[in-house]
Amino acid sequence: MKPKTRQSVTDGIPPEAELILNQIETKKSNYKQKMIIAFAFLIVLMVVSLIVLGLDFKFMLKWLPFILAGSGYTFLVAFLAISLACILAVVGALGRLSTNPIFNSMATSYVSLIRGTPLLVQVYMWYLALPQIGKALEAYGIPGIQRLLTLPAVPAGILALGVCYGAYMTEIVRAGIQSIKIGQTEAAKALGMNATQTMKRVIFPQALRVIIPPVSNEFIAMVKDSSLVSLMGVWELSYRAIKVGRRHFQSLEMLIMVAFIYWIMCMILQFVQEKIERHMARGDRRIS
Amino acid sequence: MMENSTPMVKITNVHKVFGRKLHVLCGINLEINKGETVVILGASGSGKSTLLRCINFLEEPTAGTIEVDGTVIHAGEDDKKRENHILDIRKKTGMCFQSFNLFPHMTALENIIEGPITVLGQTKKQAVLYAEELLDWVGLTDKRDEHPSRLSGGQQQRVAIARSLAMKPKVMLFDEPTSALDPELVGEVVDVMERLAREGMTIIAVTHEMHFARDVADRVLIMDGGNWIEEGTPEKIFNNPEEPRTRQFLAHIL
Repeated sequence: MKPKTRQSVTDGIPPEAELILNQIETKKSNYKQKMIIAFAFLIVLMVVSLIVLGLDFKFMLKWLPFILAGSGYTFLVAFLAISLACILAVVGALGRLSTNPIFNSMATSYVSLIRGTPLLVQVYMWYLALPQIGKALEAYGIPGIQRLLTLPAVPAGILALGVCYGAYMTEIVRAGIQSIKIGQTEAAKALGMNATQTMKRVIFPQALRVIIPPVSNEFIAMVKDSSLVSLMGVWELSYRAIKVGRRHFQSLEMLIMVAFIYWIMCMILQFVQEKIERHMARGDRRIS
Repeated sequence: MMENSTPMVKITNVHKVFGRKLHVLCGINLEINKGETVVILGASGSGKSTLLRCINFLEEPTAGTIEVDGTVIHAGEDDKKRENHILDIRKKTGMCFQSFNLFPHMTALENIIEGPITVLGQTKKQAVLYAEELLDWVGLTDKRDEHPSRLSGGQQQRVAIARSLAMKPKVMLFDEPTSALDPELVGEVVDVMERLAREGMTIIAVTHEMHFARDVADRVLIMDGGNWIEEGTPEKIFNNPEEPRTRQFLAHIL
């Protein structure tokens, strides 16, 4: 048969092919069904084990509002730290790719230093050690600097998390930018675009697509790491849960509850990530 | 035919050395008049593409002078205005690549209006109006809102040509525009190039498309080892080549 007869799609299909097509379809729907059953089974298993453990659900319900009240801090810290990290990541990535020796070496040292030290140490550095630096500076004759550098717990936490995640994300953004083929830069240059226009209009929008999945990873990790601000005595989610659990010797209930709250928050983030990814995939070749 | 005015493109003693060893262009001279169509032929690795890329400074010439429509840049010259001169030359030259290099995150129309809006500062309305005219001219009005991934190679290259033309260039550079295409799609692209030549565009093309070289070009140049070995009208080059190397090369590709 000539390939020209494309218009009559269903006409020329032989019956044995029909059989195989049906098989493929049943396989697909079977797989979907089995996945649903498997997930349902896992959920039932989880609920049953929670009941078997003899959890005090009344107790959990009673303290739920108190614990949830801490989520405000979690959101605040995570949101502001993420914003800061994004800005630092873009600036850092441009620095890492820059041919300016000062800018480049600064960005490279930033990434190396921050990635090479524990977040815990950094948090305390911002909170406890910075005032001491201020004191030393004041001794050199800068008045009022110590008070300026003595940060309250929440701003210190935001700075620590933002600066730390900014360093990791710098490398993600750099890799994303470098993953765009050289031909794109050349086409932009050939049109007469300068370096800034090329980055803004051509390279970065494409890099963003590559960057989003790993950056979402960082976001999710950061939401959970925001619990580190409890080290400085901020009454956020996990801090409240641990306090209450200890006092009433019902840590299991409280920890399970707070774990669920984090899980739900991260599921929302994942949902948003998938939405954005789908939106960014517009230019892709798809069979539909 | 060719008037004795100043040439549109003037390449004087251009050298290109990669690293310290690879001497790709060895003192190239070339003058191209307004409205002239020039085809450069040569074996792969002979330096054709490098020369083309030196004209709009995608490659920096190691020595020599490039002049496009009155803008002169000397190699190695360290001048504050140099960067502006390069942008100036790039605005005056359009370039089509072997691999099209359309912007995949933009539709056909968005690809075409990007340069005029970002570089020339046109309003969107202005740019769209001309872009639609160009899409019609390359015969792709119905693909206006498609992303490049949904277009065939030939369609992509035609959009790429329209994207270059949107900048109203004085010179068009074609770097093997049909080499990445399936054989049955070559015709539609060559067709557009031919119409462009007939409408008086100054064209420098590196191509193995013999119909274009034979029937459309005003002049054919043969390159080997980083310099010209022969040049002349298509009739002379294809029917009466003087150089044995030219004959050898033509025997391979015809």
